[in-house]
Amino acid sequence: MLSLSHIEKIYRTDTVETLALNNISLEVAKGEFLSIMGPSGCGKSTLLNIMGLLDEPTSGQVTIENQVIHGYSDKALSQFRNEKIGFIFQSYHLINDLPVLDNVELPLLYRRVSSKERRKLATEALEKVGLSNRMKHYPTQLSGGQKQRVAIARAIVGRPELILADEPTGNLDSAMGHEIMEILEQLNTADRTTIVMVTHDEGMAKRTHRLVRLFDGALVSSNQFYTA
Amino acid sequence: MFTHILKLIWKKKKSNFLMMLEIFVSFLILFAVWSLSIYTYRNYVKPSGLKAENVWAVYINFNTQNDTIRGEYRELVRRHLSNIKEVEHFSFSSGNLPFSFSSSNRDFEYEGKNTLSDYINVEPSYAPTLGIEMLAGRWFTYEDTIGKIDPIVITRRMAENLFGNKEEAVGKIVGLENNQQKVVGVIDYFRHKSSFQADENCVFAASESWLSDMLIKVAPDATPEFEAGLARSMQQLGKDWTVEIQHLDDMRRTQDKTIWVPILILFIVCGFLVFNVGLGLFGILFQNINRRKGEIGLRRALGASKSQIWTYFVGETLVIAGFGVFLGLFFAVQLPLLNALDVESAVYGWAMLLAVLSILAMAVGCAFYPSRQAAAIYPATALHEE
Repeated sequence: MLSLSHIEKIYRTDTVETLALNNISLEVAKGEFLSIMGPSGCGKSTLLNIMGLLDEPTSGQVTIENQVIHGYSDKALSQFRNEKIGFIFQSYHLINDLPVLDNVELPLLYRRVSSKERRKLATEALEKVGLSNRMKHYPTQLSGGQKQRVAIARAIVGRPELILADEPTGNLDSAMGHEIMEILEQLNTADRTTIVMVTHDEGMAKRTHRLVRLFDGALVSSNQFYTA
Repeated sequence: MFTHILKLIWKKKKSNFLMMLEIFVSFLILFAVWSLSIYTYRNYVKPSGLKAENVWAVYINFNTQNDTIRGEYRELVRRHLSNIKEVEHFSFSSGNLPFSFSSSNRDFEYEGKNTLSDYINVEPSYAPTLGIEMLAGRWFTYEDTIGKIDPIVITRRMAENLFGNKEEAVGKIVGLENNQQKVVGVIDYFRHKSSFQADENCVFAASESWLSDMLIKVAPDATPEFEAGLARSMQQLGKDWTVEIQHLDDMRRTQDKTIWVPILILFIVCGFLVFNVGLGLFGILFQNINRRKGEIGLRRALGASKSQIWTYFVGETLVIAGFGVFLGLFFAVQLPLLNALDVESAVYGWAMLLAVLSILAMAVGCAFYPSRQAAAIYPATALHEE
């Protein structure tokens, strides 16, 4: 599903050169639920951004669904991201001025989908995360857990094959965190959606199929808990 | 996408209200400036109806108030000018010569309908002196002035105002019983106040008693020496006479200046105002985009390309501008509907169109750079800024 080969990411300023990722090679199988852990600043988010095509590696190769991501135009890359990848962020990134349903519809605005079809798909996605009764609410009227569920609905509304979650439970209490984790597990098992999740929570990480650890930009260990 | 933009604008209506108000005010200013410009331009391109080239305005002061003596003096001048080969035509006229700062008007009545018109007393030779061409009928002659009813020549506009479009003007008698005048001819235009004068009512009458100044049409090769000699020779005809010659062309330029200079100043002031509005808009958009970096990062992550981000922000600005313009149009359209200011509806129509285009161009111009900045935002960075 996703393959990273010898990925290096270096941030350069006039005076300083920072090696954020050092020779990372990683294979994520279709339907796998992978978690990434590591101390702050070790390069987890950078790795996730590269997987999500939001950032480019300095060297190395990213392959998604057997397509080597190289030399794509901005338009083609955006389209690829729109169709293949769903994002979940720690701070939800919902647009507070739009009702829940419109927030969920957002990825479909960048596809050729009729407004009727958009409504239908967004409603289905919200039903999946148990928020069909909050469609007309605004994000400011929701709890943290509900906001994250909206963010999940938005991530899955376009039926992507890969979901990248950057600390999805990081802003939530443990009960809410478990709820979100259950939804992700369900997506993974029921829809065979591949999920890569960055987390600080060992407990959450152990609920995934595999855990990889990063330290100072390098992959230091990999633990297989279950098989996808 | 349009509904999506509308929803976001509506939700932020308080912060967008000021922008809409700015656009609304700018629209009204631009509408006024465009209306004035189009009105002035349309007047400018209309025929003037007179040929001012090689025509001189001659101001003669006979230094007497006695009408009989003045009449004799005029005859003396006529005889003198008739003998000068460089003088092609000449005509005495009332003081309101073309492009002078003097004007005279009076009311005319026909079948209960009253119309105010410029009123010029001239001689039969006035028409050839100014190269005036007839639209209908003829210019009056000396023979006409002997009759019981005084002859007049009127402009087409005057004929339409008094008799409507269907009736033949020539032969009509206007005025009350003791002061009747007969229309003997109609001319198309006589725009004698400036090149920007509108098509207005004008009546030419033949009344000897009001003649004071004169117009002389000279040959194209008349030199400044000839002009000085003519003034001198005319002055020598009488004991205390003073004679001053001015060129009609120069007089027209002076009059034109009194019109276009204020318009130019108005243009500069309005341009400055609109420029300031544009700067304000630019600032608001820049601030807006800086505040919405997270949203831009999110949209990029969800699949918006750079060009879609650019289009989105330009589109949002255009929709906001559209609301301001719509409100402005509501007020602007009242002018032609109420037929205010006696200006053709087409002037307002063009002015509205140009004001709309100007505002949209300003909105796109102001949104262009901030939107490009928005499109260039790096999604990974923007997502971590919030």
